[in-house]
Amino acid sequence: MTLIMDIAVVALRMLLPVYTLVIVYQIFAAMRRRRRPERPLVLLQDLETGEKTPVLFWENSIGRSRGSDIAIDDPAVSRNHCVLLRRKEGWFITDTGSKTGTYVNGKRVGSRRAMLNIDDTITLGNREYAFRRGEEFHEELQSSWFFSKVSNKPAIQPYKILILVSLFHIFMAVEACFCDGAKDFDPAVLCGCLVGVEWLFYFVSRVILRRAAFELEALGLFFTGIGVMLLARQNVKNAVLQPAYVQLIAAVAGMIAFCILIKFIENPDRIGKWRLIIMIAAVLLLGINLVFGRVTNGSANWVHIGPVTVQPSEFVKIAFIFVGASTLDRLQTKQNLLEFIIFSAICVGALAFMGDFGTALIFFGTFLLISFTRSGDFKTVILALTGAGLGGFIVLNMKPYVLRRFQGWRHVWQYTQDSRGYQQARVLTYIASGGLFGVGIGNGVLKYVAASESDLVFGLMSEEMGFISALTVAIAIAALFIYARSVTTRSRSTFYSISACCAAGLFVIQMSLNVFGATDILPLTGVTFPFISAGGSSIISCWGLLAFIKAADERTYSK
Amino acid sequence: MKRTLKRSWLIFIVVIAFLAGLGFLVIETILNAADWVDQPYNGHISGSGGLIQAGKISDRKGRVLAESVDGKRVYHSDAQVRRALLHVVGDDSLNISTAIQSQFRSELTGYSFLWGLDMPQSFRHGHDMELTVDAKTCKTAYNKLKDYDSGACVIYNYETGEVICSVSTKTYDPNGPPKITKKNEEQYEGVYLDNVLSSTYTPGSIFKIVTAAAAIDNIPDIWERTWYCGGKENIGGSDITCVGSHGTVNLKQAFGHSCNIVFAELAVELGEKKMNEAAEKLGINASFTISGINTKKGRYNISKANKNQLAWSGVGQYTDEVNPMQMAVICGAIAKGGTPTIPYIISGNSGSILADIGLTKIGTTGKNMLSPSTAEKIGGLMRYAVVHDYGDTMFGGLKVCAKTGTGETVKGADSDKNDGWMIGYCTDSGCPLAFACVVRGSSEYGYSTAGQVAKAAVIQAAKSIKD
Repeated sequence: MTLIMDIAVVALRMLLPVYTLVIVYQIFAAMRRRRRPERPLVLLQDLETGEKTPVLFWENSIGRSRGSDIAIDDPAVSRNHCVLLRRKEGWFITDTGSKTGTYVNGKRVGSRRAMLNIDDTITLGNREYAFRRGEEFHEELQSSWFFSKVSNKPAIQPYKILILVSLFHIFMAVEACFCDGAKDFDPAVLCGCLVGVEWLFYFVSRVILRRAAFELEALGLFFTGIGVMLLARQNVKNAVLQPAYVQLIAAVAGMIAFCILIKFIENPDRIGKWRLIIMIAAVLLLGINLVFGRVTNGSANWVHIGPVTVQPSEFVKIAFIFVGASTLDRLQTKQNLLEFIIFSAICVGALAFMGDFGTALIFFGTFLLISFTRSGDFKTVILALTGAGLGGFIVLNMKPYVLRRFQGWRHVWQYTQDSRGYQQARVLTYIASGGLFGVGIGNGVLKYVAASESDLVFGLMSEEMGFISALTVAIAIAALFIYARSVTTRSRSTFYSISACCAAGLFVIQMSLNVFGATDILPLTGVTFPFISAGGSSIISCWGLLAFIKAADERTYSK
Repeated sequence: MKRTLKRSWLIFIVVIAFLAGLGFLVIETILNAADWVDQPYNGHISGSGGLIQAGKISDRKGRVLAESVDGKRVYHSDAQVRRALLHVVGDDSLNISTAIQSQFRSELTGYSFLWGLDMPQSFRHGHDMELTVDAKTCKTAYNKLKDYDSGACVIYNYETGEVICSVSTKTYDPNGPPKITKKNEEQYEGVYLDNVLSSTYTPGSIFKIVTAAAAIDNIPDIWERTWYCGGKENIGGSDITCVGSHGTVNLKQAFGHSCNIVFAELAVELGEKKMNEAAEKLGINASFTISGINTKKGRYNISKANKNQLAWSGVGQYTDEVNPMQMAVICGAIAKGGTPTIPYIISGNSGSILADIGLTKIGTTGKNMLSPSTAEKIGGLMRYAVVHDYGDTMFGGLKVCAKTGTGETVKGADSDKNDGWMIGYCTDSGCPLAFACVVRGSSEYGYSTAGQVAKAAVIQAAKSIKD
């Protein structure tokens, strides 16, 4: 009898990594197959030559410069001549300070938007164009590689993906129920709640909000559920609410934030108006944190409100992407980064002051990504890196405990019994002890090490679920960037494309610090693993950031 | 929009960097996982040094040297075998760091990179290891060695690389490991060291092999020359003494009688550079890796030696030190025409993926040490020494080439503390054995101490590999 049970347990353990691969593959395959038709939105027809230029984006810069979305080789056209953009109400054109002016049907257009109608004539320098429907373009368009050459097999149905995901979490619960020394079936109850949340979210998304796709949400649920189930056997004595339930409740809050944020950024024109308010709110939040923050684990970025502990810096991440990506309407013509640089400096500085260098590093990295994507300016990047290097030097001199971490770095085996290497050495030992398939949920030993469910969660995941699963989850989160990059070709505004790509970039930076810090490839900085790490503020912020990627897909808003 | 998309390559680089980092982590894990698992704090292998679930260790004939029965580690039933193989097998304490049970604990406890450690109880089985050693030969060697303070005896098959015998004393019974206190400290001094792998001794006359190799390679008329030995000779201001007055001798006779005068003169004539070259080529200052365990490096350093000290260094005194396993490898090289087969001690390891797919390197060829003709000539000298000085019947009919030596550990003062050596090899077909035996703490010469250990062990080894 025990033999049969043991065979079942081992079979389940071997199944999980394979299953992880299947789910991640299915979700990304569905993302690919669920592509949109590759047709130009509208087109510009040269009235003299009859040549048709496809207009591919919702926001297009027109000018003599080669980098323009629509480049016109005419000496009378300015480098950045005008912007052609699509809004809910229709198509508009705005002059961006050209020398020779922009004319629609012979009437000069100023810096205010002028509405365009089909078959209007647009005059730019010496050229005249007719504004035509996209259907009149018959040539093949090149699409991004992620969406190219996809077989015609239809994408897997969203509900089927969610069945796969829920079943995965149920398997995790089964493992947790039958782990060594288990006497109760608590994980089953937890799993029931989790699966309930998953399907409720599905119902809200698909039926109430009528969202076109569910792959991104399914991926988010998949990761969130893994994080919750990893906590199934991490019980705290005398706790009102066990950590797993806290995590689940926070995840629900995150999903609500996800929906609200998508709605909030629906109108590209409203984003600019909120920019300043959100910036001030973020600075205030960090200010409150500085004043009321309590030192926990060496950094003071926790605020206690009654029984709830909040990490405000997590919410500032969302504001940071929002502020960074919302350029003023004059698409890419104004390269003034100063405001954003100051805002970033305040954020990074405040975090460094609190002693949360990991999060400061995430903000700094994201700042580099955003400022480069916006300006294409290497000077800014190099200047910022130099500044950060200097700042880092000062920090190392002022905060001895940071330097202490550097001492352990790449030498953890000499410091297995003190703070310089205790955690990392155990992570490596238990990653190796878990093998490729893991020891099963609840059987891990790493869970007895402090911060195993947050900073060291990659080790916990690897030990209990196996190295294959842990790696697959990490790669899947990194692959979100590929997806974000691919959907942004049809984003409704540069705001969406910058915010989506940079939110994905932020995930990757954060994940790098988490995984490589815990495994002694980088110094341990103590940041969370996106979606998986336990931490209410963290999971809410992850779902918030995911909203940016969702919003970049134009279908999110098409009814 | 086009610009934005183009500029996102920076993020792409971050993603690539992350994936590269993961790749690095995977490689590090594959290479080091076994070491990472082997930590005293590892909760998956606790109790009895983690050995309660460890697999069987057996010798070349399948005799079980250690196994786990009902949560206890059980060693061989014969106390003499247990003592003889303590340093190879190890005990529960893991104090002997080079022993199999310490070095390969994770493999023995059933660790594999694929499966990790915590399999359910019904599947959990330790991995077994088969060793190349022969328990009977080791017991024979131990019974001779135990009469002396301490010592080491190693025999290996120079064709295949299998280590047949590896015994180190002082030793103790792993069934009753001693509690070492201040009182009995001296009695157990160095007991956790495997002298075969981790100790070095003053070589004495066995180092004449190195000097002879340098002379054969560098002095063209070496075979025509003769020397006069009057028992002592002043070289560089002080006397070099010899065991006797050998009169006029040629190289063969000098080697056979182990004449200090001749080899001291040769060392001075060859000079620092050529002596260093020969020592370097024979790997005196190098370490060998025996189944993943490194031997202690020997020492030949004459950078600060004066003429007299250079002379002494040529006869294996001065600061010269060599390791027993190293000397066995050098004998193996002479037997094999100048290039040795590196010994190994683990023949089967069911826990290693590399072994599973046949990738562990066993019996690898080492670096060239001597040219074939020099090897043959040195072999001739060693054969001459056996026939004319030790007596060809010594090894019970086996054709052996050998050299004895007596290293003075405390020069002139306490003559009780000599290191007696015998090293050599057997040329009989079907019996390709190279050996090195050393005995510490006897006033007698190498021939009568280490020689007797070597004799008994080699005869038994030859029998054992034939059955």
